[in-house]
Amino acid sequence: MEGSSVEINYLKRFAKWSLILVSLSAILLFSMSVATAIGPMSIPFDRALKIILHQIPLLDNFITVQWEGIEESVIVQLRLPRVLAAIIVGVALSIAGVAFQCLFRNPMADPYVLGVASGAGFGAASAMVLRLGFSILGAVYAIPLMASIGAISTVFLVYGIAKTGTELPVLRLLLAGIAVSSFFSALISVMMALAGEDLHAVYMWLLGGFSLSKWEYIYIAAPTVIIGFIILYAFARDFNIILLGEEQAKQLGVEVEKVKKTVLIISSIITAVAVSISGIIGFIGLIVPHIMRILVGPDHRILLPSSALAGASILVLCDTVARNIIRPLTLPTGIITTMLGCPFFIYLLKKTGKIRI
Amino acid sequence: MVVLKVCGVDCYYGSVKVLEGVSFSVNSGELVGLLGPNGSGKTTLLRAISRTLKPKVGTVLLNEADIFSMKSSDVAKNLAVVPQSSNLEFDFTALDLVLMGRHPHMRRFEREDQTDLEIAKEAMMLTNTWHLAEKPINELSGGERQLVMIARALAQKPKVLLLDEPTSHLDINNQIGIMDLLKKICVEKGIATLAVFHDFNLAARYCDLAMLLHKGKIFAIGKVDEILTEENIRKVFNVEVMVRRHSTTNSLYIVPISQLQEIKPSKNLKIHIICGGGTGSPLIKLLYRNGYYITAGVLNLLDSDYEECRTLGIPTISEAPFSPITKENHERNLSMIDQADIVILSNVCFGNGNLKNLDAVLYAVEKGKKVIVVDETPIQQRDFTKGKAEELYTKLKNGSTIIVKNCYDVPSVLKILENEK
Repeated sequence: MEGSSVEINYLKRFAKWSLILVSLSAILLFSMSVATAIGPMSIPFDRALKIILHQIPLLDNFITVQWEGIEESVIVQLRLPRVLAAIIVGVALSIAGVAFQCLFRNPMADPYVLGVASGAGFGAASAMVLRLGFSILGAVYAIPLMASIGAISTVFLVYGIAKTGTELPVLRLLLAGIAVSSFFSALISVMMALAGEDLHAVYMWLLGGFSLSKWEYIYIAAPTVIIGFIILYAFARDFNIILLGEEQAKQLGVEVEKVKKTVLIISSIITAVAVSISGIIGFIGLIVPHIMRILVGPDHRILLPSSALAGASILVLCDTVARNIIRPLTLPTGIITTMLGCPFFIYLLKKTGKIRI
Repeated sequence: MVVLKVCGVDCYYGSVKVLEGVSFSVNSGELVGLLGPNGSGKTTLLRAISRTLKPKVGTVLLNEADIFSMKSSDVAKNLAVVPQSSNLEFDFTALDLVLMGRHPHMRRFEREDQTDLEIAKEAMMLTNTWHLAEKPINELSGGERQLVMIARALAQKPKVLLLDEPTSHLDINNQIGIMDLLKKICVEKGIATLAVFHDFNLAARYCDLAMLLHKGKIFAIGKVDEILTEENIRKVFNVEVMVRRHSTTNSLYIVPISQLQEIKPSKNLKIHIICGGGTGSPLIKLLYRNGYYITAGVLNLLDSDYEECRTLGIPTISEAPFSPITKENHERNLSMIDQADIVILSNVCFGNGNLKNLDAVLYAVEKGKKVIVVDETPIQQRDFTKGKAEELYTKLKNGSTIIVKNCYDVPSVLKILENEK
């Protein structure tokens, strides 16, 4: 009798997972409405929700338009791109964090361990200070482009240093990441020393934020992150097994080297995309995986999607705080994520007593 | 049916050769014990077989297919490994861990279904861990974890099972439990099992075949009783053991006697000891440690003095058990005396069988060798030859010999003789 109940409990977990994802999606929708409703021009929360839903094809037929045109343009033109950018960055950093912590089997790992942040920072700072590509693309496109070039080339540099023959030992990756990251941080400082009147812009970029968000960014970043998520999710069961160690994973039929290379490249690309549209947002990629592991358990089949949704909601809410807390000024969102994230993380650490990967 | 065949495998770590020319095969249902000293390449061999380490030369065939040309999931469907130890510091339950064994059988995005659960349940029932299914793995004891790891391996539905020291770190009860389980798995499921052991007795008791690995090569492979011999173990492990057959279990049991320490003779004096029945052992040990070059004779096989000499690697003239000394052996004994500087007679008893040894001592006196006689017990009590021995012994004592009352006096006498020389 006991036996059958164990099996039923096991199979029930799949239904439980669906429930978790539905709830988190609802929370995300709620966060989006809050974020779009609050601002210098206050729009009622339910109206904001309806305007957002109205933008979705097929769904728009069921919603009757009961708002003014100005409200719709504030939400759609001004606030929604910023919220969507926050969602994309939240998803990207959270799932990259999950993937890095798993592959490195290290709870300290975050999406920036391979030097993506400083590479992107150097790219962006060079663009701003040296006006690289400004004449052709304009600042709005030149900066993210240079940031992503910086990020991707850093990742390949780190891989090149860490690789031994056909293998990619994680410890070498970690150390190469630290070394290259420090080097680019120094170069960022050089750029800042040369910056002159651009210093403020460079500094704000490094702190991370969504002030420059445009619909065009979303069109490029969203598909990249969605495809990245699908690829990572395809490896969810492999992730669980890799936690046991690479040798055991090999013996259980996981193509460890292949998985490692694919996952590291994909995670680095989505991190690079995130950094290039938002600058360096700290802490999300580190704490969201830990919070979700405590809440939903270590199985990556639920950990990955729930971290994606939770990361998105948290970043949207943090950005709302950043926009409104000292209006009319807007704080860099990276400051808020760190200021709110740290105490919450410390609370969790104290309460659960242990942090596992 | 051969399921696993290893053909001429050479493995390297960097430029260091760890395995050389390893070839063997395992049939389904066989339990093979892999034994060898630390660093002899046991774990490396398991890694080569499990496709973790690619051999530089040679092939590993699983069901006649080269494992390095197979997909890793196809290997995992047929071959499972129970590692020596693993990091299990996370919150998966025992059932989660066992279900990971189903991974090679599942497609991407596929979730475990009723069938996978049934297979996991069967494996956990067999290993007696089903009651632990919902417990987090990090809360299990060492023995329970090992059983869960075996259940995971079984959930892979393998034809070959490899285990690296499955009983290390476990108490005796768990050791026996795991060995009984392995035997059952082999017999009932027909799984070919290759396991590394450090315990000769467990291997001898449970394995069908034993394989001794020595410096990266197979030293011997075959039936347990043919492989686990005193001689093989001495050569491979450099220890002296006693191999006996247990009267109730009828399996071999192996008792280590002492480690073979080679003490190089450091003194010039050559000493020949005539002893028997254990009267020579204390003296032999004492003189051996003091660095004298020692020979002994004539001793019967199975005599405890003989065992002592063999353990220490002392040249000995030996006679069949309970047989009188033959003329040939007597003469060999005399020629050993010729080569010695000093001859010592221990407090040995005399019967008709070893009376010739007394002749040998008299021969030594005649030849002008220094002869020390250990005279602890009156000869009357040691004479079982109706006076013949007493007669010879008295003659000996009256000749030019040194008489000591206790064998522990011998070293000081030797020191005096050494100085004289």
